[in-house]
Amino acid sequence: MAKNTKKTPARSRGQSPRKKTPARKKKTASRRWFSWAFVAKVSLVLLVIGAAGMAYLDAMVRQRFDAHVWQLPARVYARPVELYEGRVLSREDMLKLLDLMRYRKDSRASTPGSFSAQGNSLLIHTRGFHDSDGGEKPRRIRLSLSGGQIQFLQAGGDGLARLEPLQIGSIHPQHAEDRVLVPLEEVPPLLVEMLIATEDQGFYDHHGVSLRGLARAMLANLKAGRLVQGGSTLTQQLVKNFWLTSDRTLSRKLLEMPMALLLELHYSKQQILEAYLNEVYLGQDGARAIHGMGLGAQFLFGRPLQELEPHQLATLVALLKGPSWYDPRRRPERALERRNTVLGVAVEQGALSQADFDKYSARPLEVVPRGASALYAFPAFIDLVRRQLARDYPPEVLSDEGLNIHSTLDVLAQLAAEGALKEHLDNRDPKQDKKLNGAVVVVAPAQGDVLALVSNRNSREAGFNRALDAQRPMGSLAKPAVILSAVQQPQKWSLATLVEDGPIQVAMPNGDLWEPQNFDKQARGAMPVVDVLAQSRNQATARLGLDVGLDKVAGTMETLGVTRNVPRYPSILLGSLALTPFEVAMMYQPLATGGFSTRLRSITDVLDKEGQPLARYPVSADEVIEAGPAFLTQWAMQQVVDNGTARSARAYLPEGLNVAGKTGTSDDYRDAWFAGFSANHLAVVWVGRDDNGNAGITGSSGALPVWARLMGKLPQRSLSQNPPAGVEWVWMNPNGQQVSAEGCGDARRYPMLEASIPQDADGCGAVKQTGKGIKGWFKGLFD
Amino acid sequence: MQMLFRVLVVSFWLTGCAVSVPDAPTEPMSASVELEGSPALSLLQRAETARQQGETAAAERYLERALNIAPDSSWLYKSLADLRLFEGDARSAEGFALKALRLAPDHPQYRADLWELVATARERQGDKTGADEARQHAADALMPGKPV
Repeated sequence: MAKNTKKTPARSRGQSPRKKTPARKKKTASRRWFSWAFVAKVSLVLLVIGAAGMAYLDAMVRQRFDAHVWQLPARVYARPVELYEGRVLSREDMLKLLDLMRYRKDSRASTPGSFSAQGNSLLIHTRGFHDSDGGEKPRRIRLSLSGGQIQFLQAGGDGLARLEPLQIGSIHPQHAEDRVLVPLEEVPPLLVEMLIATEDQGFYDHHGVSLRGLARAMLANLKAGRLVQGGSTLTQQLVKNFWLTSDRTLSRKLLEMPMALLLELHYSKQQILEAYLNEVYLGQDGARAIHGMGLGAQFLFGRPLQELEPHQLATLVALLKGPSWYDPRRRPERALERRNTVLGVAVEQGALSQADFDKYSARPLEVVPRGASALYAFPAFIDLVRRQLARDYPPEVLSDEGLNIHSTLDVLAQLAAEGALKEHLDNRDPKQDKKLNGAVVVVAPAQGDVLALVSNRNSREAGFNRALDAQRPMGSLAKPAVILSAVQQPQKWSLATLVEDGPIQVAMPNGDLWEPQNFDKQARGAMPVVDVLAQSRNQATARLGLDVGLDKVAGTMETLGVTRNVPRYPSILLGSLALTPFEVAMMYQPLATGGFSTRLRSITDVLDKEGQPLARYPVSADEVIEAGPAFLTQWAMQQVVDNGTARSARAYLPEGLNVAGKTGTSDDYRDAWFAGFSANHLAVVWVGRDDNGNAGITGSSGALPVWARLMGKLPQRSLSQNPPAGVEWVWMNPNGQQVSAEGCGDARRYPMLEASIPQDADGCGAVKQTGKGIKGWFKGLFD
Repeated sequence: MQMLFRVLVVSFWLTGCAVSVPDAPTEPMSASVELEGSPALSLLQRAETARQQGETAAAERYLERALNIAPDSSWLYKSLADLRLFEGDARSAEGFALKALRLAPDHPQYRADLWELVATARERQGDKTGADEARQHAADALMPGKPV
């Protein structure tokens, strides 16, 4: 459209595009078709078209300027790092965090985003941030770390401090533009001075177009015999960035000038400068276009613009002449030369002292390596956040309104999970010829916070999100649901009740026979319920599950949080139901909390672009399983790790830490699972192949090592061994039907629901241990 | 040693029976019983201030942070339950009160208070039977020797 309006006058003269064409025509007088009336008509038409064109341009300029400058993608942050005395945090992890957040070493920690470390003692100048609770102001804190925890913290006030949350991504679905908006008052003045000195020295004097600049450019073009210089003002450059393509065509140039004039007519120099600084194109990061100095600072230096030093600011200005040509990563020599030119011009214009020039021009470029930024480092988790947000916000709100999304990601847990998966798969499948891949979900069970999500052994790669979308048969992970269903009927079953582990056949409605096999193809005979789980016996589980009732077991799975349709087939007892790793985490979450179901959340708070709270995703707790059966099931799952199929995990875990879990392997070794928890971490690991082929692995060999490595790296709290009301510790005869006593033959101690404690005693020790053990007390008293 | 302890406990218990006063902790339960010296206590105080000022989102955020520091604090869950009830979310309030009960120390009055909170939350959800059950638990909590 805009181009058409310009072509019309050009046509009347054949070649020249200049607007004054009709006036010149007047002087070439005596053609036959000439008449004053004709000239008047043509002039009028051109005037109308010209006016319409200008009006159109004017509207375009204003509409785009008013709307576009403030389009900001939602930014996603990890959880802020809470600091307090006694918090488990190693010095190494603390330094890792500071490095990820690009804290600068500075012996006095004089500005936000800097720190100094001396031995175990750290001085940190935090950056501050907004939060639903008001957030934190930047401040200096002193802490000492030893023995793997914060021993001392001096933060003023009440002994609490938080490091600002690390930005881990942004959400910009429509146009792949990204931006970190920096208001003009927060832009370092030196950057503005260098920008004006280098790009447009007459910025404060011209009205959008600089004739002097144009003349200089034309001279240079004439000398070169082609277009080498634009002579554009900052205003024109902004116009180019905003509305036009970067082709150096004459028509673009012609549009640029009136638009620049219009821009200057409507907006102040300050507004134009601010828009320029936030809009200018600075390069490409894959599909993501880097716009604006704020994002440029993050992209090149991993830091906020306000924290950059003069030579880094000069590098940003240097890029303006050609973001690709002067790319400091690919063309460091060129970029360095251009940067020093910018520093030199700044000295000429009095923006920088000679001493500073000498100091900063000697510095290297100091750009961070591509991909080293935490931004876009966790694509699987960001995908989860995006999906949760998409339920509540329309896409344009997410791409335009600059929302600040506070997520639940725990950077250290995420890195530990990525490391554990990669290390294990690199061991098992170093050449990747077995095509093994995997997924890890880590959750803080009490609050349902998703702390980490890994969906690929090369965790930086986006793509198929195995943690959320790989739906695979859960195998023996289903067994705790069978055990739980059984002990929920305490008159019939306790963990000591014997179940036969031997061949079993079930006739299916279609005439087939269902004949589950044990993993080792052996039948072990009668065994207590707890061993059925700990040893993961298929035939005994099937027998128990069928006795309990398919409907009950399926119902238990649903109660635990399985939202898929659970078919009432016997094979569900052994895990034919396919779930994603994330869904397994949902199902295991109530088991980890002793029966309280909580929605898993990846977001805690949403703030607007000014940092004001907009929405919360609060924690919840629904008691879905009674305390007693929940405790029993959890205890049985502890036996899996203590002396069952997962005992090899012990080597990685601190001694005495009570954890619980379950191994899972699907048919033909296609899927290896482990799901398990301590009091504060629930982790689910899946390993298998994308093509669902035979991966040659079991839960114990394929997934458990990942889980154990990961859990061993995180600060853990033990599962409580204190039984809730209605549960007692009882020594039971191996027959599972009589109370016994400590030291009597093969008697074992079990947590028992009161209703399941037998009346009978085997005579050994001659004690019936009921009524909160009160009789035992008296017996002890008088023995 | 253990024997001596048992004798002492039993004799205290018997003495208690003789004057028919339940053997209960006389100190009222408070946040500082669980959280003394913990930074979670100051977060709890900030949460209470925020709630008084009507800033429930901030109050919630403080309580969640406190729970990260002191995850086994019954009092923090009770505070969360109180907050939810205040916000009109009775269902969550019930859940958190039950969670607080799981973690509650053996303090009859405190346990009775928590059951009363459960009863109120159930009433607000229209669950009369559940509320009655909870009130019965509250009464039982104040009876010596009865597990609740």
